[in-house]
Amino acid sequence: MIQLSRNYSLPEKKEDDLAIKIIGVGGAGANALDRIVLDGMEHAEMIAINTDVQSLASSVATSKVQIGREVTRGLGAGGDPELGYHAAREAAGELREALAGARMVFVCAGLGGGTGSGAAPLIAEMAHENGALVVAFATLPFAFEGKRRTAQAMEALHELQRVSDAVVCFENDRMGDIVLPKAGIHQAFAVADTTISQSVRAIVNVVRRPGLIRIGFDELIAALRSQNSRCLFGFGESDSDNRAHEALALALKNPLMNRGKMLTDAQAVLVQISGGPGMTLTEVEIVMQELNRHVEDHTQILFGTSVDGKMGNRMSVTLISSLSAEGSAQPAPMRRASKTAPKPEPPVVEPEPAFEAEPESIPIATEYATPLPEPVTTTSEEAEPEPVAEPAMEEDAAPVAELPPPARRVRKPAPKIEPEQTPELAPAKKDKCVQARQEVMQFEPVTRGRFEKSEPTIVEGQDLDVPTFLRKNVRVK
Amino acid sequence: MASSNLMVGLEIGTSKICVVVGEGKPDGTIKILGVGQAPSRGVRKGEIVDFETAMKCVHEAVVDAEEKSDIMIRSVYIGITGAHIQSFNNRGCVTLPEERDEIDEQDVDDVKINAREVSIPAQNAFLHSIIQSYHIDGHDGVLSPVGMLGQRLEADFHIIHGVRNRIQNTIRCVKELPLDVEDVVFTAFASAQVVLTQHQKNLGALVIDIGGGTTDYILYVDGAVRQSGVLAVGGDHITNDISMGLRIPMTRAEKLKIEEGSTVLGNCLPGETVLLKDDSGFAGKEVERETLNTIIHMRLRETFELLKRRLEDEPYLDYLGEGIFITGGCSQLNGIDNLAEEVFGVPARSSHARTMSGLTSAFENPQFSAAIGLIKYAQAMQGDRQPRGGIRGLMGKFFQRMR
Repeated sequence: MIQLSRNYSLPEKKEDDLAIKIIGVGGAGANALDRIVLDGMEHAEMIAINTDVQSLASSVATSKVQIGREVTRGLGAGGDPELGYHAAREAAGELREALAGARMVFVCAGLGGGTGSGAAPLIAEMAHENGALVVAFATLPFAFEGKRRTAQAMEALHELQRVSDAVVCFENDRMGDIVLPKAGIHQAFAVADTTISQSVRAIVNVVRRPGLIRIGFDELIAALRSQNSRCLFGFGESDSDNRAHEALALALKNPLMNRGKMLTDAQAVLVQISGGPGMTLTEVEIVMQELNRHVEDHTQILFGTSVDGKMGNRMSVTLISSLSAEGSAQPAPMRRASKTAPKPEPPVVEPEPAFEAEPESIPIATEYATPLPEPVTTTSEEAEPEPVAEPAMEEDAAPVAELPPPARRVRKPAPKIEPEQTPELAPAKKDKCVQARQEVMQFEPVTRGRFEKSEPTIVEGQDLDVPTFLRKNVRVK
Repeated sequence: MASSNLMVGLEIGTSKICVVVGEGKPDGTIKILGVGQAPSRGVRKGEIVDFETAMKCVHEAVVDAEEKSDIMIRSVYIGITGAHIQSFNNRGCVTLPEERDEIDEQDVDDVKINAREVSIPAQNAFLHSIIQSYHIDGHDGVLSPVGMLGQRLEADFHIIHGVRNRIQNTIRCVKELPLDVEDVVFTAFASAQVVLTQHQKNLGALVIDIGGGTTDYILYVDGAVRQSGVLAVGGDHITNDISMGLRIPMTRAEKLKIEEGSTVLGNCLPGETVLLKDDSGFAGKEVERETLNTIIHMRLRETFELLKRRLEDEPYLDYLGEGIFITGGCSQLNGIDNLAEEVFGVPARSSHARTMSGLTSAFENPQFSAAIGLIKYAQAMQGDRQPRGGIRGLMGKFFQRMR
C-alpha cells in the first residue's frame, strides 16, 4: 500500500517558489477568472486584464491591469482584435510588470471578441519572453455568434498556439451540449467558466501537488501536444463508498470528454488521481483499469497520483488529453516560428519531437508490466525532466551563448527547482530515464475470481470481491 | 390456492432457490406442507444477472414444491435482497384539525404517508415502512393510537428502500412464470419473523442472515426495527477465496467449505491436512487445514467487522439484550457463533426458524429461515387485513360511529 511518509511534504515547500499567475484577458477571460477566484485557488496570483473599465471594476481578481487607456478610453475593444492588440501594445510596460517573476502563466481568454483575440496572444508572448511557461485556455465562440467571430477566434487561436507551450481549447458549442435546451444563456456561459476553472485548478494541482508519482509539466505538454486540436478534459471528484468509480465516471462525463468515446482516438492521456491519505491502491487500480477500457492499447497513459491531506475523504480524477481535429493540420515544429524568432529561442522546437518519439516507441502496456521496486524511488526519479524551470534557464543562457544545441534543452534538468534531482541524471542516461519514468508502479494482479464480471462491492474503499487474505497480505500455504 | 390460509414463500437466493408452502393455523402457528428447492444460476450477490436462466431455476423450484406439497401454487411472497437495499429512520407528523381530538385510522395512515415523504433517490422505491412507535402530543411509547385523544400525532418509522428496477427484475422473473406476486419482503425482515420471538424482539436482538451472495441484517430494540441493511458479501465469497487461495475449482472449494471448513483458528494439529479427493476417488491434493480455516476466518471476521462498523453509526448495538442470531446457509459453518461473539462482544448463536410444525427437516435448516419467514410475514399481513373486512372490522366501525 502507498503510505505518505512525513518527508513527502518537503517537495511542496519547494514548489512554493514556483510562482503561478493566472491571467484573464477580456470579458470572457475575466468571467473565467472570477469563477476560479470564487472557487478558491491558493498559491496563484490572479490578474484581470481588460480594456473595459467597467468589467474590470466588477472583477474579483486580486490585481487588475487596464489596457488601451488611449486607444479605447476605458471602453471595450468593440469586437476588433486590432484594437485589442494595440491596446495591449500600449500598456506593454504595465503588462510586463504584472507578469514579472512568474514561472508559470495561465492565460484565459474568450476568443472571437476584441480584447481576448487581440491582446491574449501578445500577453502570452510577453509571458513567454519573461521566461514563464505559458498555458493558454481559450474558449471558441458559439457557432451562432457568427462566422466573422469564429474566423477571428481561429486566427487568434493559431497565434496563441504559436506563442504558448500548450493551448487548452474549449469549444462553447460542445459545452452547450450538456446544458439543457431550456436553460438560459447565462447558464451556458457559466458552464464554460466552470469547466475552465476546473481545468485550471486541475492543471495547477497536477503540477503542484506533492505527488507520489508526480506528473511534470513535460507530461502535461505531451498530453496536450497535438496542436490545432480539440482538448479533452475531464475532472471528477467523489467521496462516496464507490468513489474511485464515481470520480472516473464523472470525469468521463465532462462535456469535453464525450463520455470517454473520444479518448479512443487520443495518442496520450494524462491521468492524475489525488485523494486524501485514505486513498487505497485498489482504488487507484480501479480507476486505471476502467480507464484502460476507454483507451486504445497504443495510447500512452501518463499517470500520476498524489496524496493531499486537504482532500479528506474525497478522491479526484483528472483526465487531460488532446485530439488532432483535422489530421494535425499544424505539425508541432511550426509552433513558435516567427514571432519568437528575434529572441534566441529556436531550441523550443526541440522538446516536441523528443516527447513524441518516446511515447510511441514504448507502449504503455509493457511499462506497467515491468516491475519497479517501490513507488518511493519513483518520486525522486519521475520529477527529473522538470521543464518548468527550463524556459528560465534558457533565458539566462540565451543572451550569453546564442542558440544552445537543441538537445540541451531536453537534457537540462531544472536545477533551481529540483536541485536534489540533478545527480541522478547523467545525460547519457536520459533516454532511459524518460522511458522508465512511467513504469513506477506495478499493480499486483488482483483478481476477483468468480465476481470478475459482476458489479464490484466496494465498502470503505476496499473491493470486497477480492479475497480478504490477499487484501490483508496474509500468506496462505 | 384453494384456501386463503395457504401461503407460499419464494426466496431467490444466490446459491439456491427455495419455495416453502405453509399453512397458517388459526392459533397463529404455521405448518410447513412442503419445501421445493433448486440450485440457483444466473444470480449474483442476491440479484438476478441472467434473467432466462434464473427464471428456469425458479420454475424448477416451484414445480418441486408443488410436487412435495401436493398443492398448486398460484401466488407467492418473494424475498428481496441485494446491495442496493438501504434503510433509515424517519419521523412523520400530523396535526389534527381543531374541532376533532380523537385519532382515527385515517390519521394513522396519514402519518405513515407523511413519514415517507423524505427524499430517497429518484430511482428507488419503498419496500417497507415499519412502525417503531407513536407519540401523541409529545408523549411517547404509544403502541396503538387509534381512538386516543390528542392534537398532534407523530410516528417513528424504519423505512427500507431499494432500487426500483432491481426489485422489478425479481418480480418480473416470477410473474413471467406466471405466478402472482402477493408482496415483496426484505429477506432479513422475513428471517427475523421466525428466528426471533416477540419477547426477543422486545429485549433487543440482531439477526444476521448470511446467505450465498449477501449478508442481510436487521436489528430490533424494544420490539421495533431500528437498523437493517445488506452487505453484498456472502458464502460465495468464502468459496471464491478458498478457490483462489488453494487454487482449486469452485465446486470443490464449495464442498471443502461445507465438509471441512471452520472459522476456528489454532484448533488443529500442526501440519494437519485435509485430503482432497479426485472425482475418480483417487487421492488428489492435500490441503493444510489451518490454511483453509484461515481463509474462512479472515473473510468472516472482516464481514462481521464491517457490519459492526455500520451498526455502530447508531447506538443500538449496546441494547442487545438477547444478543445475535446468525442464520442463513453460512450459519452452519463451524465456530461462526464464537467468531461473531468475539467481534461484536455480545452473545451470539446460530439459529433457525422456530414455532413451526410440520416438516422438521425444513424449519430446522437455517437455509430456509427467510422463505419460512415470508410465510410468517404473509400470515401477519393476512391477519391484519381480515379483521378490517370481516366482522370485527364492521363492529369496529359500528362502535366508532356510536362514540
